[in-house]
Amino acid sequence: MEWAAALHRLWGAAVTIGSREQLAELVLPPLQELPGVRAVWGLRHAPRGDGVLAYRWKGLPLTSDLQELAERLAPGQAGPVQVIDATGELRECGATRVVAARFEQPGEAGGTILVAVDDTADVTFVGQCLAQVVEVTHEAVRRLSEVRGDQEQQVRDALLAEASLQMDAVLDTEQTMYRVPRMAVPAIAEGCLVFVYEDGKPVLRGAVHVDMRRLGALLRDPDAVRQLAEPAEYALELRARGRVIGRLVFLFDRPAERIPPLSFLRDLAARAALAIDNSTQYEQRRQEVMRMQQHLLPTRLPRPAGLELAASYTVGDRVLEVGGDFYDVVVRDDGTVAALIGDVCGRGVDAAALTGMARHTLAALLQEGSSPRRALTRLNSRLRLNGSWRFITAAVALLTPHDNGWAVEWTSAGHPAPVIMRGGSDAARGAGGGVPLGILDLPQLGSSTLRMEQGDTLVMFTDGLTESRDGDGLMFEQDGLARALDRLRDAPVQTLVDDLSSSAAASDDIALLAMRVKESSGD
Amino acid sequence: METDLVLVVEDSDEDIEAIARAIGRSHPDVRLEFLRSGSGVLPRLTAGGHEPPGLVLLDLNMPGEGGLDVVRQVRARGEYDGLRLVVFTSSENQAEAEACYAAGADSYIYKPINFALFQSVLAQTLDYWRSREPNVTQIVVPPPGESSAQA
Repeated sequence: MEWAAALHRLWGAAVTIGSREQLAELVLPPLQELPGVRAVWGLRHAPRGDGVLAYRWKGLPLTSDLQELAERLAPGQAGPVQVIDATGELRECGATRVVAARFEQPGEAGGTILVAVDDTADVTFVGQCLAQVVEVTHEAVRRLSEVRGDQEQQVRDALLAEASLQMDAVLDTEQTMYRVPRMAVPAIAEGCLVFVYEDGKPVLRGAVHVDMRRLGALLRDPDAVRQLAEPAEYALELRARGRVIGRLVFLFDRPAERIPPLSFLRDLAARAALAIDNSTQYEQRRQEVMRMQQHLLPTRLPRPAGLELAASYTVGDRVLEVGGDFYDVVVRDDGTVAALIGDVCGRGVDAAALTGMARHTLAALLQEGSSPRRALTRLNSRLRLNGSWRFITAAVALLTPHDNGWAVEWTSAGHPAPVIMRGGSDAARGAGGGVPLGILDLPQLGSSTLRMEQGDTLVMFTDGLTESRDGDGLMFEQDGLARALDRLRDAPVQTLVDDLSSSAAASDDIALLAMRVKESSGD
Repeated sequence: METDLVLVVEDSDEDIEAIARAIGRSHPDVRLEFLRSGSGVLPRLTAGGHEPPGLVLLDLNMPGEGGLDVVRQVRARGEYDGLRLVVFTSSENQAEAEACYAAGADSYIYKPINFALFQSVLAQTLDYWRSREPNVTQIVVPPPGESSAQA
């Protein structure tokens, strides 16, 4: 009856324990309580090989000198309870026989329980009790394995979800290559490295290890790094759109049973490959767009006497198509300077073609001596003739030397009004006006004149500047522009354009062209 | 880790609770001591009569002295070279990781949102540093007739 109660308690407790460590404390004491029992020893076997992972005991301690004896007595494989004659030190402490049983659980550490009894013990009864305890232990191990499996699956699911979220959050290649290993370590591996093939050679682009010093030492050894990039069980291919783009290498410093299944690592590698490929493609495309944009703009501006010129072109964030903003400056033989700026609506190849045509048409006509009105009218006619649905906002500032300054004739086809910055007073907006080119058969142009004295600056720009919005949704034109201009009133003209374009959070492209009258005209 | 005492330096109530819950489940034998700011770390380490921790788990971004400051201060004093300094942060800034490494941090660990992952990350970090203790073996000699608590 006493044993039945103990066994009942055992079954109740066995399904509540949370780790293998608690198991011995649970199952060994009831056996030790049986009449005639001198010692109860527990061995935890390594899942692979002959090793013993842990020794537990009740009664005679299983000290290191006795461990070999215990291993010898343990049955070689799982099976029914065995009774063995006691030898050596067990005999010396009064034990005559050993009742032994071993259990195995696939994928888990198996166990052996040895019960050393003296002559007074009922060996048959002890054997029955041991068989029942082994049954409880086996079930507890099975349950722990199941719970751990569930937990590991939960961790892997969470990791895939969080990694996907993290990887999708960035389009920057460097960031992506760093985030992949950072997510994996140490949840699923102690170390993780990302190699990407560049010109056929693996290049290490991201590396994280739980032990930063070990990683540091590893990375200082080029041979070791090269070796890691070689194909191996845990050096998984990064494959995107049918191409192998690199290798994702995991470093483990944990028991074999805690290494995640390869199928999961492959899944993670597949997602990482996609994220890396996406960000690389994005980066390449963006570089191409920026290069092409450069071709649509003058490689250098002329240096007319008496004027300082500066220009900048900022490609909007996350923009993957060529924009339609353009500018140019031509100097006529008589010293007149014509500065032009424009913006073709839309983006992409068609807009780019039109941008090139518009800039060259206007620049060529203005260079040959055509008036801004005539040049803009000719461009309008071309657009109408081509039947293009696209329209263009454009403006020309024609600067003629006059006394110590310059007379400016501003002709606008629906383009944002320029800013004039005068030494000692606040910046002011000029006049805009007109209708964009390509809409009307006869263009409607706005014109105005102004005078620039020494130190004055004329700033021409496209609407990417004025219509960019800050975090609160406020347009740059409403508040930011005036503040930026005030701050930059004494800045060199190149600083002025660079700073202005970076002050605005550009979602669209921004073209900026500034002309300042030198302090001593005619230099 | 020379001892099973972990000093947690964290200013967020939610994270303190989550760390206590996670380590309490995965490593019930590990004792935790909490500090709510980086400025308390050096005084805690130098004060006599207190058990020295084996590992310090540091939040990176805290008001006043952050995790990086603590790493610098502790590493500036040679006597704590054996103390493991683990920065635990959700920051994705690679430059911060490099600065922590340069300052002498042992680990720079990602702080996940999901609790199962959070627990796993902490458990693996503790397992790693507990298994890598140089020259320390756990030896338990129980009195005769008593059961072993550990092997």
